[in-house]
Amino acid sequence: MSDTRAPVPVTVLTGYLGAGKTTLLNRILTENHGRKFAVVINEFGELGVDNDLVVDADEEVFEMNNGCICCTVRGDLIRILSGLMKRRERFDGIIVETTGLADPAPVAQTFFVDEDVKRATKLDSIVTVVDAKHLSQRLNDSREAEKQIAFADLILLNKMDLVTEAEAAAVEAKIRAINPWAELIRSTRSAVPIDRVIGRDAFSLERILAREPEFLSGDDAHEHDSEVNSVSFEVSRPIDPEKFNAWMTELLANKGQDLLRTKGILAYPGEDRRFAFQAVHMIADGDFISPWREGEPRRSKIVFIGRDLNRPALRRGFEACQVEA
Amino acid sequence: MSASQEIAYLLHSRGVARELGAWVVGLAFGREGRSLAFGLGDGSVHVADARAPAGDWLRVEAHKGAVLALCADVAEGVLTGGDDGRLARVTPAGQVEEVAGFGRKWVEHVAAHESGVRAAAVAKAVHVLDAKGQALKSLPHPSTLAGLAFDAKGKRVAASHYNGASLWFVAAREDKPRLLEWKGSHHAIAIHPEGTHVVTAMQENALHGWRLADGQHMRMSGYPAKTHSLSFSAKGRWLATSGAESVVLWPFFGGGPMGKAPTELAGGDSVLCTRVACHPQHEMVAAGFEDGLVLLADIASGRVLPIAPPGRGAVSALGWNANGALLAFGTEQGFAALLDLSKK
Repeated sequence: MSDTRAPVPVTVLTGYLGAGKTTLLNRILTENHGRKFAVVINEFGELGVDNDLVVDADEEVFEMNNGCICCTVRGDLIRILSGLMKRRERFDGIIVETTGLADPAPVAQTFFVDEDVKRATKLDSIVTVVDAKHLSQRLNDSREAEKQIAFADLILLNKMDLVTEAEAAAVEAKIRAINPWAELIRSTRSAVPIDRVIGRDAFSLERILAREPEFLSGDDAHEHDSEVNSVSFEVSRPIDPEKFNAWMTELLANKGQDLLRTKGILAYPGEDRRFAFQAVHMIADGDFISPWREGEPRRSKIVFIGRDLNRPALRRGFEACQVEA
Repeated sequence: MSASQEIAYLLHSRGVARELGAWVVGLAFGREGRSLAFGLGDGSVHVADARAPAGDWLRVEAHKGAVLALCADVAEGVLTGGDDGRLARVTPAGQVEEVAGFGRKWVEHVAAHESGVRAAAVAKAVHVLDAKGQALKSLPHPSTLAGLAFDAKGKRVAASHYNGASLWFVAAREDKPRLLEWKGSHHAIAIHPEGTHVVTAMQENALHGWRLADGQHMRMSGYPAKTHSLSFSAKGRWLATSGAESVVLWPFFGGGPMGKAPTELAGGDSVLCTRVACHPQHEMVAAGFEDGLVLLADIASGRVLPIAPPGRGAVSALGWNANGALLAFGTEQGFAALLDLSKK
């Protein structure tokens, strides 16, 4: 093909107002790491860095005409990323900052839906900065704060200097109840090595469930006061691809609005490679990735993050996708 | 093109080519009839003498970031928009003059008409300027603009956006657009040469059109990819489009395009067409493909004339001079060429 250059990695930076997102962005842009980033900021951004690669975005969310009301994309991102591609020699990566009130779903879906964006870029990871002191309050008064945690591949638990260890542990438990697989990093004033945030390739199929989901002990995920939570299942017999596709297609069509993110690693019968699957609301993506390791038990796993998850029904559905014993 | 070695590409016998070093965003022949300019992703504009292209091409820095849009200016040279927020003009002699500045906003689409009117789409507004660069008006839209076009007479300007397109009379005393509504995101836009239809390309790999006389909608779908390039044939009988593995042409005669199947030309290679440009006089269409192939097709017979072989990057710019004797193209990898197709 004409353009054989590697796709440009894009890091999406979310987080509620005042959590430390801009501080993190400033660190990434000013620290001497030898890499150059194009930065897409929202119009309310207060970035103090003079950088000719800073682009203003309007956060225009567009519905797609495919009969699926939750299938939305960020129209401005499609335009901006296409524009940046015309001078892609000038930077190593792109960082997209969203407003504190933004729903991360349209951003993530843009990378699944738009073919031009898919061709030229890849979503590296969704990084959410949260304020350790005020997160509980945010979770009570904002659905967006909850969604930003649900969507994260990496969560920066910031402002650790303002909380006690017990408070920090309580906040982490709240985060884990919503999102058991994101990597959690504690920080103060957003001070983290840039390599822990950028270039993680956390969104790729290859990295799905590379980390074991960290569920709370027992089944107390239902007890927290937030309406988004997560469930995860594991089965030992191989998954019948046809049954799985039929189940997932119907599930996403009916429950996709409530399912924020779905990730799975599947063992297909007679197949040495693992099948990785992920979905953002109703939009799904899947492919074979690296083979199972020698001697590794071929157990299929799936994790759902969403609202009103019917645990028994999801469990039954997944278990029924196994080949006959 | 399995037999590409044996095909006589006209580029070798009738062309002048250069490696310009950055993504060719757009090209245009100046209305003064001498210059050809290429706008690039590194902010430079390269100006060739269209009458003697083998000579040196001038390279000028028109924008600090990337050139995002380029068109022939009202009388001479080209008008360019950049991601440095500037609207500039580049003269045939390679002089760069700023026409207007818009701060941090990108100037993503530009258009100019020989009657002396210019337009630039910046965020949600179309700024209309006269030939001297004087701002005449600023036309507001509900969302960011993704396409811009004058009609053939320069009397109306159309801008595409989310949920439709807006059609404005440039000289109206009271600015009120005719809103052409259709749900979804619209980008590339074209007005029929007779001013009878407006067509847009959509996010969903389809075109949408409006017949202005009665507001009748036209849906043109079936594309495997997004259409980025729209071009009406000289008399408006055909609309050539990119976005398929062939050149897709919709008939705008005999009641079409409603209920008519499109004509497909130069297909069969499983390579996406990325640019189309209809000949300014004859019913012929030049097309560029994702693998770098450029060809010329006769619409009636379907006969294809090979212009340039694959291999130098996806074709990203393509255009004719006013009398249709010269054809120029550029690619994403910075390859640019000019061919003289006049009878010798």
